[in-house]
Amino acid sequence: MLREIGVTNVEELFADIPPKVRLKHGLKLPPPMSELDAKRHVKSLLSKNKPFTEMPMFLGGGVWPHYIPAHVRSLVQRSEFLTSYTPYQAEVSQGMLQALFEYQSLVAELVGLDVANSSMYDWATAVGEAALMCARVTGRKKFLVPKLMSPERLSVLKNYTSGPALEIVEIGYDGVTGQLRMDELGGKLGEDIAGVYIENPSYLGFLETQVQEIAEKTRGAGALFVVGVNPISLGLLKPPGDYGADIAVGEGQPLGNPVNFGGPTLGIFACRNEQKLVRQLPGRLVGMTTTLDGNTRGYTMTLQTREQHIRRERATSNICSNEALCAVAAAIYLTSMGPSGLREVAETCASNAAYAMKKLQKVKGLKVPIFDSPHFNEFTLKCVKPELGIETFNDRLLELGVHGGTPVQGEFPELGETAVLCTTELHTKEDIDKLVEAAAKAVEGKK
Amino acid sequence: MEKYDIRDGLHYSREHEWVKVEGNLVRVGITDYAQRKLGDIVYAEMPEVGKQIKQIAEKKTREMELGALESIKAVSAVYSPISGTVKEVNKALQERPELVNTSPYNEGWICMIDPNALNAELGKLMDAKEYSDYLVKLG
Repeated sequence: MLREIGVTNVEELFADIPPKVRLKHGLKLPPPMSELDAKRHVKSLLSKNKPFTEMPMFLGGGVWPHYIPAHVRSLVQRSEFLTSYTPYQAEVSQGMLQALFEYQSLVAELVGLDVANSSMYDWATAVGEAALMCARVTGRKKFLVPKLMSPERLSVLKNYTSGPALEIVEIGYDGVTGQLRMDELGGKLGEDIAGVYIENPSYLGFLETQVQEIAEKTRGAGALFVVGVNPISLGLLKPPGDYGADIAVGEGQPLGNPVNFGGPTLGIFACRNEQKLVRQLPGRLVGMTTTLDGNTRGYTMTLQTREQHIRRERATSNICSNEALCAVAAAIYLTSMGPSGLREVAETCASNAAYAMKKLQKVKGLKVPIFDSPHFNEFTLKCVKPELGIETFNDRLLELGVHGGTPVQGEFPELGETAVLCTTELHTKEDIDKLVEAAAKAVEGKK
Repeated sequence: MEKYDIRDGLHYSREHEWVKVEGNLVRVGITDYAQRKLGDIVYAEMPEVGKQIKQIAEKKTREMELGALESIKAVSAVYSPISGTVKEVNKALQERPELVNTSPYNEGWICMIDPNALNAELGKLMDAKEYSDYLVKLG
């Protein structure tokens, strides 16, 4: 072959690569292994990992572990769902289209709004899309957000809105309760505000209790009200549509989707059924219709003229694929749980958090939670003992076999040495008691 | 060639919009030829009242767009044949966009514009005879 291509040896092929960056000796690798030996070797390496399933784990902060019934996975892994592509061709995609339509219907019911799209990438991109939608609907360029919103979501929001040059303006919080400062909101609301965004539950776990008032003020200024949610909380809490939200967004991962390095995630996006809103809705929308004789239901993508494959650079969004498989998993999960099942999950999450807070409050050197407000399934824990950092505290917890919360002192330095802890229905009383015991030792520096 | 409805007394753009002078204002719509090429209109995106608009030129820009008309699988921008300020939009199209198909020169009008350079700009448009010849050339 060398002769065919006109070189005399292999070295000549690499003549263009400077000698100083060339490897002069062979790779320092152990001798080859058989497949069986290689498997044993990899297994021994992997055994150094400590999976969160093997110790109580209290990380949340945007992705939450929940129990996923076995049939969710087995249904979602059917090849009809797993391998299907964007259902452009309705005549060969009725199953996928119906599954997505069911997902949309379930999400709409859950958030109390009329229309839901068939998903965005995650909560963060859904917030970005919501801000852009508010700007298109109102023709205004400023978007108000709470100062305590998730920093990751804020970063994505700024990224999404930098092109169309939207201005993201933060609203401060009450130092005691964490609640949005209403005077500041009132002062900033005006004819230039496209939308107001809140997170409920907040990134730090407490509930925003002034939602009705925020909705009225926002509407009064002609802006749109956007609410971000953890959908599990809606098993227990009033849906955003009931207190005046125009748009609801959220993270659909806790609905039947696992936590693998923080994903895969599922962006929830819904709005009121008003033509000026629906026409500006981002993302894919599946509709249901009946045949001319009225006997058969059919499903198809609808209002596609909003989308990229038709409207090109003037589309409402650059999202073309979506999180279809995660949406189907969410639909199966919600259908399995039903309203009473979801309520049970939400109640367990909230009562676990309440129990954990009550117990941790008794540990000297900790302040739990930092804000005096009701909480859902997450809460803050602050190390108030001098010279005890939250990272050190977490390291000590790990040594004691407990995975602590998400540190937020880097994102919100003004909150001090603080972490956000999450409880779900996966936590037992024993898990929480172990956390409390470990926390008491970690504060003292005991092993 | 197909027969298209072309009205005397209107001014026509090369993008198939028409202009009718009514006192100090002008009424704007799309022609019978345009509505037939678009097919069934399902949604009319209208300009905001008060929008400043420029007359369509060789190089099209956003400032020349009055809105868009959507058929089932296509969206077409509507360009303004006259510069000025949008004074009124045809609200009937919100509920019944098909009026653009059934009555392009009457009930299917798009908007009223307060022109700012009417005489100069009318000269750049075609009359009924010229537009008819133009359609013949398009084939």
